[in-house]
Amino acid sequence: MNNVIQKGWRPTSVLILLLLFWELSSRWMGIPEWLLPAPTAIVQEGISGWSAYAPHLFSTIRLTLTGFTIGSAVGLAVATLLHLIPKVREAVYPLLILSQNIPIIVLAPLLVIWFGFGVLPKLIIIVLVCFFPIAVATMDGFRQTKNEYIHYMKMAGATQSQIFRKVEWPYALPSIFSGLKISATYSVMGAVISEWLGANKGIGVYMTLASSSFRTDRVFVAIFFIMMLSLLFFLLITQLEKWATRWKGENARG
Amino acid sequence: MAKLNIDHVNKSFGDNLVLKDLAFDVKEEEFVSIIGPSGSGKSTLFHLIGGLYEPDDGMIQLDGKRINGQKGAISYMPQSPSLLPWRTLLENVVLGAEIHGKMEEKTAKSMIQKAGLSGFEHSYPHELSGGMQQRASFIRSLLSPQSLICLDEPFSALDEFTRLEMQKWLLDTWEQHQRSILFITHNIEEALYLSDRIILLSDRPATVQREFKVPFTRPRDPSIVLTEEFLKMKQTIHSELKVLL
Repeated sequence: MNNVIQKGWRPTSVLILLLLFWELSSRWMGIPEWLLPAPTAIVQEGISGWSAYAPHLFSTIRLTLTGFTIGSAVGLAVATLLHLIPKVREAVYPLLILSQNIPIIVLAPLLVIWFGFGVLPKLIIIVLVCFFPIAVATMDGFRQTKNEYIHYMKMAGATQSQIFRKVEWPYALPSIFSGLKISATYSVMGAVISEWLGANKGIGVYMTLASSSFRTDRVFVAIFFIMMLSLLFFLLITQLEKWATRWKGENARG
Repeated sequence: MAKLNIDHVNKSFGDNLVLKDLAFDVKEEEFVSIIGPSGSGKSTLFHLIGGLYEPDDGMIQLDGKRINGQKGAISYMPQSPSLLPWRTLLENVVLGAEIHGKMEEKTAKSMIQKAGLSGFEHSYPHELSGGMQQRASFIRSLLSPQSLICLDEPFSALDEFTRLEMQKWLLDTWEQHQRSILFITHNIEEALYLSDRIILLSDRPATVQREFKVPFTRPRDPSIVLTEEFLKMKQTIHSELKVLL
């Protein structure tokens, strides 16, 4: 706890100063509410408007979690497949990288044309942004497995699948978690972008409505929740990582 | 009958002939050391016995059965302990047995205890010292179901004190379990102290230069390394090695 205070007081005080500056300047300089509302006004809207945006928020959370889960599963599956079958890897890897060069903003309307306004095109977008960091990080993890472990396993007569399950997979865990952390934050963005395309619920929808009616305070509320959601997600995975790689200890580099 | 029989084996990588007409055997419950100049192909020999590569010519037999290119026929202890960092000591020592579908946690526990590692069963490798890790690595090879153990310079990375302690411990443990052992080392003293027979390999391409029978009785006391007979043998091997260099 002491440690938290010692490390945290600097960024916290910068944040407080920034908010204070924002609050005072919007009061004293008379900046109109629709241009830049004061932090207090945003907090007020956040509290009083809860019942209005809560359904949007939960819809986005559900969409994010579903998309992230599918995206991670796809990422892990792709990495495993490409790792175990090098020929497939050679054939598919360039395609994987290309898939990341398609601008999502351009792809999104196309997906709506092909799949309609349902949940499917939205999930496709999230999966598309999610799976790549996981697949790449996982493949790197597999490949970096220390040769001495694999050498021992081979000499001891382990099969390819035993080597994969008992050595390569656990060795890659820290890398997998790096991928998951990146994807977690991406998935929230992906969800919001996909909602812009046409949905009837979600923080993305709430945000579009708010900005087109000049309710800037609501836009900020939406931004705040998007940030919180990403952060929460990130922390959750960090905790999971700590538990899953507890063998590493404080000073061990595996 | 010989436990392991290396029958006129040749192996080359490209144009590089590494093993040439190599022939020797290891008998049941015998401790055989192989010494030779570095880069003479000792590790290649182990990889052949381990089945990672196939010999170009000749045959490798274990218990009278041909094992050319057959993985997992021997139990192996590598140069570095190679314990998996995400497994506890106990989980690590049963790995060799686990690969072959046999697990005896009870034997494992009693062996850990005999090795002076009790209390560390649930520690991770990074919490153990280098000597403790090597002990764990040797227990792992003892617990593996194969009857021949191949050790690849297991003590070369340890400091002098730990090495002497480990040699004594290895001898005691081996005398209790009586398995056949093939031991690679570049340390003449270590080879003399531990083995029944020493096989001296020539420089590349490696072939058997000479064989020495080690006359000391068992159980051996560490103090034999200071006896005149021991030093004399050491000298003989040394001069033989010098011819090679």
